[in-house]
Amino acid sequence: MLQQFYAVLTFFGFGIFFAIIALVLAKIFGPTNPTAAKITTYECGLDTQGPTWVQFKISYFLYALVFLIFDVETLFLYPWAVMFQKLGLFAFIEMIIFIAILVIGLWYAWKEGALEWL
Amino acid sequence: MAEYYLLGVEIATALLGLILLVMGLLVPKTHNKGIANIAIIGFIAIFGVNFLYAGTNASFLNGMYLIDPFSLFFKGLLLIAVFFTCLISKDYILEQGYGQGEYYSLVTFATLGMMIMVSAGDLITFYLGLELNTIAFVILVAFRKNCAKSTEAGIKYVLLSAMSSAVLLYGLSLVYGATKSVLLTEIAKIINQQGIQPLLLIGMIFTLAGFGFKVSAVPFHMWSPDVYEGAPTPITGFMSVASKAAAFAIFVRFFMIALAPVQETWVIVITALTVLTLVLGNLVAIPQTNIKRMLAYSSVGQAGFILLGMVAFSKLGVAAIMFHSLLYVFANMGAFGVATVVGKSIGSDQIKDYQGLWKRSPLMAAVMLICLLSLAGIPPLAGFVSKFYLFTAVIEQGHIWLAFIAIGMSMVSVYYYLIVAKAMYLGQPEEGAEPIKVPGSVQLALALCLIVLVFFGVYPTPFTNLVLDVATAFFPF
Repeated sequence: MLQQFYAVLTFFGFGIFFAIIALVLAKIFGPTNPTAAKITTYECGLDTQGPTWVQFKISYFLYALVFLIFDVETLFLYPWAVMFQKLGLFAFIEMIIFIAILVIGLWYAWKEGALEWL
Repeated sequence: MAEYYLLGVEIATALLGLILLVMGLLVPKTHNKGIANIAIIGFIAIFGVNFLYAGTNASFLNGMYLIDPFSLFFKGLLLIAVFFTCLISKDYILEQGYGQGEYYSLVTFATLGMMIMVSAGDLITFYLGLELNTIAFVILVAFRKNCAKSTEAGIKYVLLSAMSSAVLLYGLSLVYGATKSVLLTEIAKIINQQGIQPLLLIGMIFTLAGFGFKVSAVPFHMWSPDVYEGAPTPITGFMSVASKAAAFAIFVRFFMIALAPVQETWVIVITALTVLTLVLGNLVAIPQTNIKRMLAYSSVGQAGFILLGMVAFSKLGVAAIMFHSLLYVFANMGAFGVATVVGKSIGSDQIKDYQGLWKRSPLMAAVMLICLLSLAGIPPLAGFVSKFYLFTAVIEQGHIWLAFIAIGMSMVSVYYYLIVAKAMYLGQPEEGAEPIKVPGSVQLALALCLIVLVFFGVYPTPFTNLVLDVATAFFPF
């Protein structure tokens, strides 16, 4: 059991070794010519335009929640649909109950205006 | 084919929650005063259904879900607590003016989550119930939309309970790793065979921290005063009794059944927690000036008293835990019922604003006094009987020093409870203060609390026999 992990250990060792070798070789053979632009810290993306502490519309969040519910529903529906013949009537009724509960949730979200973009 | 009829109580509760939600959608916002009544009647009906199962001792889905006297007792307790919560909430939520359907359906789903917790026979079912209960409670705590304190309490609760859930889950996964099983009875068998391992020990400590958070035992109690203060007062009452009782039920089941073979190890840690909780909870309650914060620290202290029953690790200890949790429901719901009405009509939760309450509302002053004295454990009230059993259980096991600390702290608690009584009875109301009108549903709740506390204080025998029977079935050693 433990011996099988020697392969992983070797892999880690070589990984670290190659990373260090690459850095050391670049340090030895590369030309050094630092300019102000070169030594600034690099960050992903572009400079922000204007203040970043703006308020997002809460509707994004509500959309995401409603989406998530139906995403998960599909996740449950799919294996049930594949095994439908085998599972039979009992699973069918169970699935109807499950969907009915979700539909009440959608109904609620709809009625309370979660789907409206004001 | 599994025996689905065993789940009658849970199915009824889920249905009630859905019905309340749909009613909130269908009934126009101007005509929805009746939703509270439907919730109250529904809970009485479910309480009746729960009685039909009396004496059942069965398990569902190979032991993942247990319907035994212990879980049925705690389900009854939860239903009583939620019944009182609905009675107290009725006028409070009407005055808020929004979310009738949401409020009562969330209360129902929180109850469902706690029912799953107390019936859980394996770790995953337990965690499912815990999350259902926590999510519902987070929304309920933040229910006062236009109150910054309530929102703050909601955010605090969601962050801290997420953290404690993470710790708890990590501990449970380590226990699973050490025993290769999630079933509580299986875990006990395997630990019996292989003895204690370091992995199991670490898992045990992590789960203990998670449970400590849920029952607000020191040093994991930091969230409770802030959350209790910010939440709507009926929800504070509900949380302090029901959520705590459900957490104690699974706490007791996990440590006394699954981890029973390593009792010598965990009892040391739990004894330390008990002493800390008793001393800190009761001493810090003294300087509080806000009644909700005072009751929050008092509920920390009460958790310490209930922990005594776990230290005892005996049949009497379990019985005393059940006795104390149930009477705590009546005493605390009574106190929070008064705090709700006073807080609404005066607009403040400060203890000094209770000055001369007996002139403004004799009923509320009397109920508050009786409830606080019962919490303090003064005879002839029910709180004395339950504390007496807890102390007896500890002394029987030879921890006399622990009983001394507990009795000492019980004395301390009398002091801070009587500060409120002094303000109510000896203080004079402000000039021109008018009598406070108590809504009918709250009057009913207060009267019921009063009757139960006095009755079981004078004549506890039938109830004692009941909890001893349940404890014998649960813990046959």
